[in-house]
Amino acid sequence: MSEKKYAIQDIQNIAASELLERVRKLKEDGYRLAQACAMNREYGQDLLYSFDKDHILLNLKVKVNEGEEVESITGEYWPAFIYENEMHDLFGIKFLHNALDYNGNFFVTAEPTPWNPKK
Amino acid sequence: MAVFKMAKVVLNRLFQKPATLMYPVVPREWTERTRGHIDIDVDQCIKCGICARKCPTNAITVDRDASTWEIQRMQCIQCGCCAEVCPKKCLSMAPEYTTPNTIKVVDKFDIPVKEKPAPKAAPADGAASGEDGLKCNAEECVYCGLCAKTCPVGAITVDRGEKKWEVDKDACVQCGACVDKCPKKCLSL
Amino acid sequence: MGKRTIIPFGPQHPVLPEPVHLDLVIEDEKVVEAIPSIGFIHRGLEKLVEKKEYPEMVYVIERICGICSFGHGWGYCAAAEGAMGVEIPDRAEFLRTIWHELSRVHSHLLWLGLLADGFGFESLFNHCWRVRETILDIFEETTGGRVIFSVCKVGGVRKDVDADTLKRIADTLENIKAEIKTLCDVFLEDVSVKNRLVGVGYLSKQDAIDLCTVGPMARASGINQDLRYNGHGKYLEVGFTPCVEEQGDCYARCKVRIDEIFESIGIIQRCIEAIPEGAIDVPVKGKFTGEFITRMEQPRGEAVYYAKAFDPGKETNYLERMRVRTPTNMNIPAMVKTLQGCDLADVPMLVLTIDPCISCTER
Repeated sequence: MSEKKYAIQDIQNIAASELLERVRKLKEDGYRLAQACAMNREYGQDLLYSFDKDHILLNLKVKVNEGEEVESITGEYWPAFIYENEMHDLFGIKFLHNALDYNGNFFVTAEPTPWNPKK
Repeated sequence: MAVFKMAKVVLNRLFQKPATLMYPVVPREWTERTRGHIDIDVDQCIKCGICARKCPTNAITVDRDASTWEIQRMQCIQCGCCAEVCPKKCLSMAPEYTTPNTIKVVDKFDIPVKEKPAPKAAPADGAASGEDGLKCNAEECVYCGLCAKTCPVGAITVDRGEKKWEVDKDACVQCGACVDKCPKKCLSL
Repeated sequence: MGKRTIIPFGPQHPVLPEPVHLDLVIEDEKVVEAIPSIGFIHRGLEKLVEKKEYPEMVYVIERICGICSFGHGWGYCAAAEGAMGVEIPDRAEFLRTIWHELSRVHSHLLWLGLLADGFGFESLFNHCWRVRETILDIFEETTGGRVIFSVCKVGGVRKDVDADTLKRIADTLENIKAEIKTLCDVFLEDVSVKNRLVGVGYLSKQDAIDLCTVGPMARASGINQDLRYNGHGKYLEVGFTPCVEEQGDCYARCKVRIDEIFESIGIIQRCIEAIPEGAIDVPVKGKFTGEFITRMEQPRGEAVYYAKAFDPGKETNYLERMRVRTPTNMNIPAMVKTLQGCDLADVPMLVLTIDPCISCTER
């Protein structure tokens, strides 16, 4: 068993509206949430969700326009509240129906959304 | 019911010498590779400035006009990056740590000014000089000669009249000083 | 129903090891609910990719945490090498595995010391840290630094270790095994320690799966999950067995980490026997290209590293985004779940049992 499982890069691009459906299916298939992060793009942000099963990662890249609201996945994976609050505090992405919403008080920063400054 | 399991360890250590050192009365012994502080051999330095560019914390400042090399001891993170990239290998890592102090220590060294070596006869090739190394974009170049003046080793020759730009690839240490100086931004490494 | 009070716990507290803040809702000495709050030491290190070129970024990433420092350096280098398509030599891979396993031994010894300090056993705490000094001396001899090694770089490692030193390391580790065993017997057998650990903070297997726990916290609840199976380093070549327990309480987590110390010493000795001769790095030049996501098994669990370059055509020497997801980040919900229903006196035990590393979590 010496295949390099870490070299398997499976990144799938999906739209923000399909996110919750895909996540529900992954939860049924037994995937575990590994991480969620955001990065700045010209049109807004790209969210990257990673799921793991049998030590292989499956990644979903979600395109989010500036100011668009995203469905929270805390209904399926409760630990996602940490990542969603962090993305909200640092980038300003709004999540709907977040199970544990800190309303911007998770990371207390000197200026709001420091990694996506409003010009 | 296991009780007093720790007693064995305590009794053993009671009759051994302590594990700690009476520092600073007893000095610490450093190993050969300990990354303590940076030393410079001023005779070899050519003031190219690669160390200042690569330093992750901007602890090194190289002043070419005043011919000094200074390092902020408290800013340095002892990574050894400068010692690795120095083309003349004049920087080295010594084991002793900087002594703790109440002020931020800055060490300044004077670099002795050396005669610039005469530029060697350039190879027959024109502006293009291969995949690796310094390249000049001939369309943008105005042959002002600033790069030749900035070069610490005199590797570049510029002839304004004949519109020639040449680099001696053996002398070039790829420090990037000319790249920064060029007003038309036509040089690249 | 008794009266409920809210007690704020942390970030400054004599027994708390890390600057995390918990709002504990107490009802007559039992904790009913716990709301975590972090963000006290957020440094925004991931944003420094805009200022530091990719070879220098490794010095920033390895300073995210002092205990897991080598793991972060290796993870960043692995992500950068994967993105640019660089194959590093075998000897470098073996050296990285040896240093990482030594990191795991020193991290678990540190945690055992903190656990002993958490329930008031000061002398055991100091003895665990005294044994850990031997490992730190090995680090200083081979890499030059006791805590931050600066020995990993994109393309390999920066320092080589000769065969004599490797043989000496293997012998030193064999000699301290007996000392570690005596200390671990105190943790596992002594009746006063067992009273504080057995039955405290129970996490069932289904809960551990739902809360996506990672690392020894998951392995103590019966989940066989060890990221060393995914092929990074030389773990599959030299062989290893993950340590899994079933009880799911603090005692099981302590036992998992103790077993991992001995397993790591075995891995290091096998690596030292199998290490080949050869180069220790390959030159890496040019702009940063590509996108790669990889994972490491750190002492605390699974860490995810994601490195992305700018779009094709606009590449520079800088990364566009670097993401580090550390294991404590994922274990905080599990900590919150185990805190429900525990005694107030057990709260420091439960916070320590996830092996928190808040400076990793907040970067």
